[in-house]
Amino acid sequence: MDKQMYDLCKWVLDTAGKAGAKDLRVSLGKSRLVEIQYRDKRPEIIKQATTLQMGIDLFVAGRYSSQNTCDLRKDALKEFISDAVSTTKLIAEDPYRTLPDPKYYKDRADMDLKIADASIDELSAEQKHTMVKAAENAAWSAGGEKVVMVEAWFSDELGESVTLTSNGFSGDTRSTNFSVGASVSVRDDDNRRPEAYDYADCRMHKKLASPETIGASAARKALAKLGAKKIATATLPIIIENRNVRRITKGFFDALDGRNIYRKQSFLADKKGQKIGSDKFIIVDDPLILEGAGSRLYDGDGFAVKKRAIVEAGVLKDFYIDWYYSRKLGLEPTSGSTGNMIVPAGTRSVDEIIKDLGKGILVTEFLGGNSNPTTGDFSVGIFGQFFDGGKIVHPVSEMNIADNHLKFWHKLAECANDPWLYGNWRTPSMVFSDIVVSGV
Amino acid sequence: MDRIDRRTFLKTTSLAGGAIVAAPVLFDGWLTFAGTEKAGYFEKEFGITDSLCKKVLAKALSKGGDFADLYFEHTISNSLGLEDKKVDRAYTSVNLGVGIRTVKGDQVGFGFTQELSEKSMMAAAAMAATIANGSATPVVGKFAAVKMSDYYPLTGTKPAPLAPRLSLVESTAGKCFARSNYVIKTIARFNDARKRIMVVTSDGVKAEDLLPDSALSSMVTVEKDGRKEQFWFARGGRCDFSYYTDDIAREVAEGVVDGAVTLLDAVVPPAGEIPAVFAPGSPGVLLHEAVGHGFEADFNRKKISIYSTMMGQKVAEPMVTVVDDGTWPNARGSINFDDEGTPSQKTVLVENGILKSYLHDRISAKHYGLSSTGNGRRESYENYPVPRMRNTYILPGASRPQEIIESVKKGIYIQDVSNGQVNIGQGDFAFYVSRGRLIENGKLGAPIKDFNIMGSGPKLLRDITMVADDLKLSRNGLSVCGKDGQLVPIDCGMPTVLVRSLTVGGTKKQGA
Repeated sequence: MDKQMYDLCKWVLDTAGKAGAKDLRVSLGKSRLVEIQYRDKRPEIIKQATTLQMGIDLFVAGRYSSQNTCDLRKDALKEFISDAVSTTKLIAEDPYRTLPDPKYYKDRADMDLKIADASIDELSAEQKHTMVKAAENAAWSAGGEKVVMVEAWFSDELGESVTLTSNGFSGDTRSTNFSVGASVSVRDDDNRRPEAYDYADCRMHKKLASPETIGASAARKALAKLGAKKIATATLPIIIENRNVRRITKGFFDALDGRNIYRKQSFLADKKGQKIGSDKFIIVDDPLILEGAGSRLYDGDGFAVKKRAIVEAGVLKDFYIDWYYSRKLGLEPTSGSTGNMIVPAGTRSVDEIIKDLGKGILVTEFLGGNSNPTTGDFSVGIFGQFFDGGKIVHPVSEMNIADNHLKFWHKLAECANDPWLYGNWRTPSMVFSDIVVSGV
Repeated sequence: MDRIDRRTFLKTTSLAGGAIVAAPVLFDGWLTFAGTEKAGYFEKEFGITDSLCKKVLAKALSKGGDFADLYFEHTISNSLGLEDKKVDRAYTSVNLGVGIRTVKGDQVGFGFTQELSEKSMMAAAAMAATIANGSATPVVGKFAAVKMSDYYPLTGTKPAPLAPRLSLVESTAGKCFARSNYVIKTIARFNDARKRIMVVTSDGVKAEDLLPDSALSSMVTVEKDGRKEQFWFARGGRCDFSYYTDDIAREVAEGVVDGAVTLLDAVVPPAGEIPAVFAPGSPGVLLHEAVGHGFEADFNRKKISIYSTMMGQKVAEPMVTVVDDGTWPNARGSINFDDEGTPSQKTVLVENGILKSYLHDRISAKHYGLSSTGNGRRESYENYPVPRMRNTYILPGASRPQEIIESVKKGIYIQDVSNGQVNIGQGDFAFYVSRGRLIENGKLGAPIKDFNIMGSGPKLLRDITMVADDLKLSRNGLSVCGKDGQLVPIDCGMPTVLVRSLTVGGTKKQGA
């Protein structure tokens, strides 16, 4: 733990107490970031900075306010806290706003999540430039003469945080993140310039995909979009590529949020324990995975986190209810935020599934669109590859899928064997049957 | 508990900065800046003198480069929230720092610090300098204040206290419940931020401003016969509290409740290609996303945009003129100068159908041998500026709105869109329509909702065949544009227009 950060948080607890706020939570986050981006074989952007941010949740006389500041000079902070306490006293009382019951702080897992890579300080500027150049060169090589632009980047970030509450919570985290990526634009015959990217994010530098792999993959993805066209509106099976599954599940997850349930904006509010998808629909939230992008020992309320089944064989098992909305809804709190979202992988590759399905669309990108958490209706633009006779025929663009979440997840037919490991959504490609894909 | 004094603290922690304290002032419960003057703030409150700026800029150019700039920012944002008929939550955020950039050709070195101390600024400047590797570039001897107009003057010198702001939010919620018995939940919010900035450049520009940014918004859920719908509506911009009259509260309440109630009878339209009429105002976001981004000069100098080879060519019908305007009074995208110190302007992008200009920052202006159009913008001191839109809209045309609707036998009328996205190079866009109407035999028919429209941005612009005389900006006070991981406030709008054909993504095929 960074003692200076800890001491400053303690000082804020003390200062706020003297100003009249006996109940509060204080969090201090510190982040050090380096970003290097290349274009046209030379550095385009070099950025480096350290950021500090303090958050203070005040619970004063049954009233609540939340404060953020990066002005951490003590005199300024002291006045800021005093002002915040005064303001808080002027707003309406909210009997549901309190610090959490400390019993939920207990039983925090005693383990090292391995989310901080000690080697971050050993990585030289030269090594970082070498990685970016490697990604850029690989993209140019793999893309060939159709390429009009390549951007490649590397970034690393060290984040530290300390959180204390006046009712006994104390927690600190230290984490690292490494990212390498490339974006490629290619020229189509009609002067359109389709672009594609690939990237990898990892806690541990050694687990990062090679920059050459990423650069070449970005170029291949861009080339695969050349000659894209619409097909006639049809009902087809679709395969959503692993890294894009998160986008389509977001609308589903918004409806699991205690806040939306309380606000009567959730189509899942009364569906706990009910079948809302096919037997293949399984989601587990496991915040305790080693090296996971969403791994943590406690959540924003300070609750000790644990592995939870969210959807099991198509049955909705649990919501995301934080402390505040648990009190408003009269429900037991779970956690207000997600950890690592895991959808178990299947046994077949996407290629095998395409051969088996014969005709359909492999969705490689989503564009725009939205989901209505109150009704479950969603509609989203898609890019991808039309396959027929078990083979990719041509890329598709300017197309769309629309459905309702309460019907859509019943159409989940299979999960592929390719879980995406570079984010907190560890999802394989997913196959849905009978989806209306609209185009011409 | 901790009892260390300030002196010990300064010695033992790097978390504290200089000795001058410029804490914001609490006006009867409302935390904000003490004054409304535009100039002199950073020197008075933080001791940022011209000589200190010169020293830091010299460090940023110590290894060469075309120019360097400093972007100082101190922002106080406040928000009041209502969920159960009373304002029971308040949020305040203070952001303070300086971004330091060194530019060499189209290469950028960038560092920032949240401590406005000489030591921290010199360290960030040394970081920015690493983009170059030659001999030092000189900094000009004197800075000249930029000449600018004020497109969002603040009334009075003392901000409104907390009490009337609480009343505004609570009365808005009350009006929502009074408007319809179908309302089962109302959420209301009032946001109000003030941002002080100072831009100082190595070639002699000094520009200081105080930017207000506020909005009153509401979301309601309505229920009828077991069917629930939600809707959102807001009003705001670069306004101070005097804008938020009882009439504005009523406009927000009526807008949100009437919108939601309409949706209770809405259907999802059939999928496929269909003519579309865009209502005036908020559908302008489609122009922003599907067309505007392609005009940003960085996408063109990097050859990403489809428009990179089309300057001077016909890109739309002659009745279409598209502008990006930083000067619309009190609009959210208005700026007195951009974040590189270039005075704001109204830039004509497409004039009578011909592509006339891109949106430039200093880097792209130099690349094309032109002057900046004042579009170099950034989210905060933590980011370097890139070409961004301000208030983007189509100028009014000669048609009447009714005439446009009557010209469509079978089509859709689009009133509210959200969550748009565009693929700049390919030109493809997709937008979610949260509210609209069917058009049948030249008349507005059943309400429609929750569907996506998609197409090609350049084709959309070419397919505009009628433009009405009823231009409106959205004025929702909360529009933001995301690019390169940065969000900046914008506004957009349009008159009623007819688009020959768009793809509608529904669940049923046409005629099914």
